Amino acid sequence: MPFLQALLNGILVGGFYGFMVLGFSIIWGVMGIINLAHGEYVMVGAYFAWALFRAMGIDPFVSALLVFPVMFVVGYVLQWLLINRVVERPHLISLLLNFGLSISIANVYKLIYTADYRSVTVPYSGSFELAGFTLPTIKTAIFFAALAIMLALHLFLQHTRLGKAIRAAAQNKEAAKMVGMDIHRVYAATAGICIGLTAMAGAMVAPIQPISPFMGPLFTVKAFAITALGGLGRIPGALLGGLILGIVETLLTIYVPGVGAKVGTAVSFILLVFVLVTRPQGLLSGLRPVEEGA
Amino acid sequence: MTDVAARPTPSPQVPEQAPLLEIEDVYAGYGGDDILQGISMEVYPGEIVCVIGPNGAGKSTVFKAVYGFVNIRKGRVRFDGQEITHARPQEVIQAGIAMVPQLPSIFPQMTVYENLEMGLFLERDKRKIVERIEYVLELFPRLEERRKVMAGALSGGERRMLEIGRALLIQPKMLLMDEPSAGLAPLVTRTIFQNIQRLNREIGLTVLMIEQNVRQGLEASHRGYVLELGRNSYQGPAQELLHNPEVRRAFLGGR
Ligand SMILES: Nc1ncnc2c1ncn2[C@@H]1O[C@H](COP(=O)(O)OP(=O)(O)OP(=O)(O)O)[C@@H](O)[C@H]1O
Ligand SMILES: [Mg+2]
Repeated sequence: MPFLQALLNGILVGGFYGFMVLGFSIIWGVMGIINLAHGEYVMVGAYFAWALFRAMGIDPFVSALLVFPVMFVVGYVLQWLLINRVVERPHLISLLLNFGLSISIANVYKLIYTADYRSVTVPYSGSFELAGFTLPTIKTAIFFAALAIMLALHLFLQHTRLGKAIRAAAQNKEAAKMVGMDIHRVYAATAGICIGLTAMAGAMVAPIQPISPFMGPLFTVKAFAITALGGLGRIPGALLGGLILGIVETLLTIYVPGVGAKVGTAVSFILLVFVLVTRPQGLLSGLRPVEEGA
Repeated sequence: MTDVAARPTPSPQVPEQAPLLEIEDVYAGYGGDDILQGISMEVYPGEIVCVIGPNGAGKSTVFKAVYGFVNIRKGRVRFDGQEITHARPQEVIQAGIAMVPQLPSIFPQMTVYENLEMGLFLERDKRKIVERIEYVLELFPRLEERRKVMAGALSGGERRMLEIGRALLIQPKMLLMDEPSAGLAPLVTRTIFQNIQRLNREIGLTVLMIEQNVRQGLEASHRGYVLELGRNSYQGPAQELLHNPEVRRAFLGGR
């Protein structure tokens, strides 16, 4: 495969990664919580798309729009009832809570759907030619949808009252309380948006990803790697980290002999370890705790 | 020296009237032992009152108790005729008290203007928000010049102005300021105190401030309170405290 074509494939995957990681990155950046259940919300979104596709033939991109409000509510309620209770406590507690959640969600899904792999086969699963390149239709659509959602999220954070409140709470929690914000409501809304977006990513990726109850941890590891590469809580950083991971993963699977597609997971791990060893605070000092001195 | 139990003398400018803020025998803490062990204070309309005391005396805790960040176990707080002992911060703001806390309270990656917008977070009327921000920008021309600059890029003095300006947006009847001069160069400190006095004169702002910078703080104030170990120790007109031998020995480097 020519290099430029390989690079293009990497970029397409990377755009999706940049979008997939947003929920993880923003929850960490705003609340200082490492959401170990991140991948499970991708999984939930994927099953949502699969179930709607099987039952009514609903397109996964439509499901992505539908799953957002549903998972927004789930994220809001989970934060309100559970995570807000431990958000002021040491990081380890919320980490364990989310770890427990991730295992519970995966096992509930296994009970409901069994551990069998599922797939969504959409009619437009082929590819098209453009300027001498071959573009896989689904991945291209995901890429542009991801960019559009990132832009929408950016505008939301910059210009709406809630968006500004989320940024303010991330930058100075005490000051946010001082001006009268109900910080727990801001956190709940943040979690709602983040988990909604994460499930959206899951629904969108359903047609190109084998779906199983235990697909989650792979996405959580990728989210860690992307955050280490691109930094916390910033959309451009997420995109940059996603693109680096997507490109490295794709190039390695194509050019290194004996390295099959299966090594993709290991690549995230190796990148993560590499970044942590060389720059423990992350490439763009993204892996700091949110509060100074914390 | 006025006795602790005695009613404080109202400042000369202010005629005899009801106190705006009344803190009455307040006990409060952070879950363990009480940090405040029976603190009382009164602030009259139009006054600037300065609170001094050694590190850890509980000065900031008094402010946090008034603002609803720390639970009051015993005692009461009244403001403008209204009981606010157990009010939440949102309710305290609505009652008309603004606060500039001891720790930096700006949002560094938001512009000066956005920081000001956040100061009116509880206000929904967009037109009112714009009007009030323009009013504060008129009070602080330096902020007007820097309205599009990220707050994190401001100098220490400018940040403090931004914090004070933001507190004024809610058109408070009273402003609580926790160490407004902390970390500022002497010249900047003077500007900040001048601004506080100007606001007191021009818009009749009532101010209760905590100061480590005892001399300048008292000089800018009408009255003062000295706190030690969570209790009142001295109180009186600022000039009197400045000349009190014990206060001088403890806080003004002797003589
Ligand atoms: N969030 C907190 N949790 C537990 N204890 C606290 C907290 N904040 C302050 N304290 C304790 O309460 C006591 C009084 O603190 P406070 O901040 O009110 O003192 P202060 O008079 O403002 O001192 P400083 O001049 O250093 O600002 C101190 O012993 C401090 O350790
Ligand atoms: Mg203090």
